[in-house]
Amino acid sequence: MKSLISKISPGYLVTAVALILLAVLPVANMPRAWILYVLLFLIYLAMANMWNLIAGYAGLISLAAPAFLGIAGYTLALSTWFGIPWWAGLIGGAILAGIFAYLMSFAVFRLSGVYFSIGTLVVPEVLRQVFYLWRPVNLPLTGGGAGYTIKGVSGLSMGQIYWMALAVAILSAVVIRIVLRSNLGLGLAAVRDNQRAAASSGVNTFRIKLYPFIISAILTGLAGGLFFVYQQYIEPGSTFNVKWTMIILLSTVIGGLRTEGGPIIGSIVVVFLYFLLARYGNYSLLLQGVILIVIMLLSPQGLVGIAQRYSLFNRFMAWMGKPLIAAK
Amino acid sequence: MHGDILTPLVMGILLGGLYALIALGLSMIFGVMRLINLAHGDLVVLGSYLSYALLSYFGLDPILGLIITIPVLFGLGFFIQQFLLKRAFAISAEAPLIIAFGIALIIQNGVQIGFSPLLRGITTSYSMASFNLGSLQFPVSYLLDFIVALIVMLAFREFFTRTYMGRAITAASQNKKAAQLMGINTKMIYGFAFGLAMISAAIAGTFMGMTFPFTPVSGTQFLIIAFGVVIIGGLGSLLGTFLGGLILGLVQTLTAYYFGSATQMLFVYLAVLIVLAIRPQGLFGR
Amino acid sequence: MSQDIILKIDRIDVFHGTFQALWEVSVEVRRGEMLALIGANTAGKSTLLDTISGLLHPASGSIQFENHDISSADPYRIVELGITQVPEGRGIFPEMTVLANLEIGSYTKRARANCAKNLKKVYKLFPRLEERKKQIAKTLSGGEQQMLVIGRGLMSEPRIMLIDEMSLGLAPIIINEIFRTLKTVRESGITIMFVEQNVRKSIQESDRAYILENGRVVLCGTSAELCEEDKVKKAYFGI
Repeated sequence: MKSLISKISPGYLVTAVALILLAVLPVANMPRAWILYVLLFLIYLAMANMWNLIAGYAGLISLAAPAFLGIAGYTLALSTWFGIPWWAGLIGGAILAGIFAYLMSFAVFRLSGVYFSIGTLVVPEVLRQVFYLWRPVNLPLTGGGAGYTIKGVSGLSMGQIYWMALAVAILSAVVIRIVLRSNLGLGLAAVRDNQRAAASSGVNTFRIKLYPFIISAILTGLAGGLFFVYQQYIEPGSTFNVKWTMIILLSTVIGGLRTEGGPIIGSIVVVFLYFLLARYGNYSLLLQGVILIVIMLLSPQGLVGIAQRYSLFNRFMAWMGKPLIAAK
Repeated sequence: MHGDILTPLVMGILLGGLYALIALGLSMIFGVMRLINLAHGDLVVLGSYLSYALLSYFGLDPILGLIITIPVLFGLGFFIQQFLLKRAFAISAEAPLIIAFGIALIIQNGVQIGFSPLLRGITTSYSMASFNLGSLQFPVSYLLDFIVALIVMLAFREFFTRTYMGRAITAASQNKKAAQLMGINTKMIYGFAFGLAMISAAIAGTFMGMTFPFTPVSGTQFLIIAFGVVIIGGLGSLLGTFLGGLILGLVQTLTAYYFGSATQMLFVYLAVLIVLAIRPQGLFGR
Repeated sequence: MSQDIILKIDRIDVFHGTFQALWEVSVEVRRGEMLALIGANTAGKSTLLDTISGLLHPASGSIQFENHDISSADPYRIVELGITQVPEGRGIFPEMTVLANLEIGSYTKRARANCAKNLKKVYKLFPRLEERKKQIAKTLSGGEQQMLVIGRGLMSEPRIMLIDEMSLGLAPIIINEIFRTLKTVRESGITIMFVEQNVRKSIQESDRAYILENGRVVLCGTSAELCEEDKVKKAYFGI
């Protein structure tokens, strides 16, 4: 047994232990608030990992995340009104988000850099207007506005939702790992380095950005859907809202764009700040804006970047079996 | 209801002038520095709030208040460019975008802390008045917006073609290296250009505030409108910006007329997306 | 600094990022001369000009211009002091008119006062520019664009004019015409340092020349001396 353990790299052990701890949290008699914090952490983490994939690795600074999570959420909500079980609506919603990303690409993928970003900013706004106006299920509304409750999920316990979120978060980490280590990941690095050279080497620069975009939309939709499962209702104003984009951006950038651990650290910080300053909502966001700027200027690789300047951290990471991959 | 189409037509044109004014700053910054300032909308709203504050606390008429709001926003713009964005450009491609985002965050929440999320409006004796054109009535504020927009755009045109500084900015936007070799201090020029854009934002914000109610989060809407104007009208063309504004204004008022006012912003956004998809360089862009 | 030498580049090392482009390069430019910088594409000629103009800064060594140390000066300062570069690829402002291009040439405070006067001088040197003064710069032919940027450079009242790869893409007739005009410019007291790939032409048109290879100065001398150099003969004239 001892020889077996010594063969496994410390990194895997540490990760496994962390996952086990996370998994038992709901049944460990923790205050409900804590479970909520970690639940949100997991949802933000999944979304941050996906944004890291497209913005950090594929160079697509997309501000369209609210569109994907909103579409998934509304698919979930509306399908429960039509008698479809919530889990089917959840998965269907994620898939629809992916299809929507594919359709969207026709409009925005021809744009580069800044044009692209604002194009993606417009999309959630359009959806917000659409869902304010569109009443597919003509029933008395609950929660005011154009919102819908999500039926059939009130039976779910916090723990169950939590475990699903944990699964999605793990999935997001696995997905990004697979993509980066695949040919797709190689191509992405090439395109980031020198788009024209990559294109003349036969890399289909359009496709190579499209796949991560769709993948990210699906998982963002999945994570978002889970949020609405927890919240049990959905309405356009807070769904198609740039606040989501801000959370995702902050989680990724504060931790460190283009680093594997960045989204994890960033999400922790964001959730921490969010709840520490919950009563001072606006101050918290203002502070996060300042942090964003400071981080971007001082350490573009975020907190992970700062940590990488200390040899202690690097030696720890090497011991864990995760040698320093120079983040660019 | 479908009686007279003249009203939305005239309103659309007048509104378009204001939209062009909002877009002016964005267009300039993008044309010169290739940066889409994500915080532009929020900076315009900041102008609105500043005017509002001057009016509420000091009773200062917003147009007179421009004496204060213009230098304040100019200075802020200069600061943002010189100390934040300039460094951001050197760091990475996404850094300026993210920093602009951070600035937007700060402004939105700072304003919300200072003024609460409630709707605000700048009301003066003349901002609520209306005037008659034949048998039709129009709000004075719309007309005022249009006239001011024209004045500002003409002033900018004169600045860019007649003054050395203006021509230097234009030159730097067309060929940065050559501009540097002409003795143009490009490091400072960009800060100046940003400051100029802020002047137009201050003016736009003040008059916007007199025409429509606003909240701390109105910035996103202004940004999209400004962006839409720039997209439709094309870059590098004052005339294009003006016409882009008119087109968007007309889209808004005409769709409100035909489909009801709830749908108007939807059509405006859709128009932006459609132009983006079909002809991103705009109708008059180079 | 001797009265004769107007620009002294002393053993500079220049890097593009981590790549070293110039190795201990020393150049002396004498007042009023026509100096050629010759070398193949990767020799470092443009890098040297850009360093003189302040777009790049040497990692070691120094550059002195008439008793000013300009090694770490900003580009606009160097133009103000009196060194103007006509960059590679012409460097026009494509969407501006010929007149606007010329006028922006007198941007520095020093030159602004004499804008109208200098404009007349430039028109005299290049009458074609006056004919086309309202035309948008990008619609001019290659030769006309080259004339435009030289004229624009002159508007800044330089003491030294640096010209980078002037003859690229131009017909020999035009190149000769421009060199003739440059002689006139030189006669008005302006020192000219130009970069060329065409060795024969460069030695022909210049008083002295420096030959660069892989970022180092390998030869220098008057055109007469260089024509005698075995190396030059073998390498470039195939003798």
